[in-house]
Amino acid sequence: MDIADAADLLAIARETLLDELVPVLPNERRYAARMVASAMAIAAREHRLAPGAERREAETLRRLLQDVDSSPQVLVGVDATDALPALRGVVRDAIRAGAFDEPQREHALAAALLQIGTDQVAIANPKALRDRR
Amino acid sequence: MGVRAAALSRWLRRESRADDVRIIRHERLPGGAIQENATLDVEVTGGPWSGQHALVLRSDAPSGIAVSLGRAQEFAVLRVAHAAGVIVPRPLFLCRDPGVLGREFFVMERLPGVAAGHRLTREPSLVPDGDALARELGANLARIHAIRPPCPGLEAPSPSANHALATIGNYRAQLDRQHDAYPTLEYGLRWCERHAPAPIGVTLIHRDYRTGNYLVDNGRLSGVLDWEFAGFGDPREDLGWFTARCWRFGGADREAGGIAALEPFLRGYASVAGRRISRSELDYWQLMAHLRWAVIALQQSRRHLAGGERSLELALTGHIVRELEYEVLHSIERGSR
Repeated sequence: MDIADAADLLAIARETLLDELVPVLPNERRYAARMVASAMAIAAREHRLAPGAERREAETLRRLLQDVDSSPQVLVGVDATDALPALRGVVRDAIRAGAFDEPQREHALAAALLQIGTDQVAIANPKALRDRR
Repeated sequence: MGVRAAALSRWLRRESRADDVRIIRHERLPGGAIQENATLDVEVTGGPWSGQHALVLRSDAPSGIAVSLGRAQEFAVLRVAHAAGVIVPRPLFLCRDPGVLGREFFVMERLPGVAAGHRLTREPSLVPDGDALARELGANLARIHAIRPPCPGLEAPSPSANHALATIGNYRAQLDRQHDAYPTLEYGLRWCERHAPAPIGVTLIHRDYRTGNYLVDNGRLSGVLDWEFAGFGDPREDLGWFTARCWRFGGADREAGGIAALEPFLRGYASVAGRRISRSELDYWQLMAHLRWAVIALQQSRRHLAGGERSLELALTGHIVRELEYEVLHSIERGSR
């Protein structure tokens, strides 16, 4: 790499904001500046992690739906190429219909959601993951 | 004096039956995602209010969220609470005439103190005795919960037999207005639906009783603010909201709103209410608290994305949802053990 990419630009811009600008801002403006820094950090993590997280989420949801195949009505319209928003919608409808009430299925659902959620928190606020350990 | 200031001064003179009302200061306060607050210092000459007054003027923001009250209703709730001995700013006058400021507003007494949750949970000089403050907050909440329907001026409670189930239905309807689906929130709602506790009698509930929404002055509770979500419901909802992990700011290990352990808060509550909430009931309503905050955060996020209200703060609020979902999963896991 010869020229800073998106991730590096965000990182150095954020460092500049926190190290050089925040200290000289009046108190009542620091909150806004910290929000800007926070937004930049989320954007940088999303840029780096979201593609993998979304691919894993789609795989996880598809597998989860295939496991409830004794309720074929919830699988109508789902196939391997479905986009993530559609998969989430199908899972929502299945949850509301009680397709995951049975303990073993509930366990599978909770495990899948925790895996997806861990990926998403790693983007939104990795500190929350550390707090849990 | 501007046109608005003149209109405001005239209105205040009429309401306070004064000879003259002089506006000394009128400044918008920062914050307030749902409504706008302004400090208002006035000097009243003649009539029952004669003298200087430090007030807050509270008006509707350009766009509110679906479940919040209008200012007229909030004013009515505040009056009922104040009359019942709840520690709140005293409500003074309501203006429903849009000819004065362009929208509904009311004025209330301005109380001293600090509300900022990140400060109250981190600066011991502001809260030298967290247990005492937690007891006061518990007792004060129980005073709100002693208010039972019907109340003149307040909307009657919905006739739903089970507040928890009605609330879950309401959250689902709000999620249906979002662009995307949220399987984890759906799982949380389904879990709460299947494990809903037996209903208890409805009372007035604040629905935003948490650190950040009350003033602390010299270590004591000075007043409870932000009544825009109040209504009749299951009082355990307020106990879960106050103690939920998402409202502890810098005091994640202090269950009573980040300022103290749970026990003094519940003891203060029981000293007025005469009853306590069980651990399993509290766990249930803390889970509901996270679901509710997630639903509201998604609405805030939509206001930024599609509501014509571009705001970095609203945009970042959307990202809180992931943490709340994560907490929902851990809470269910604990509750299922």
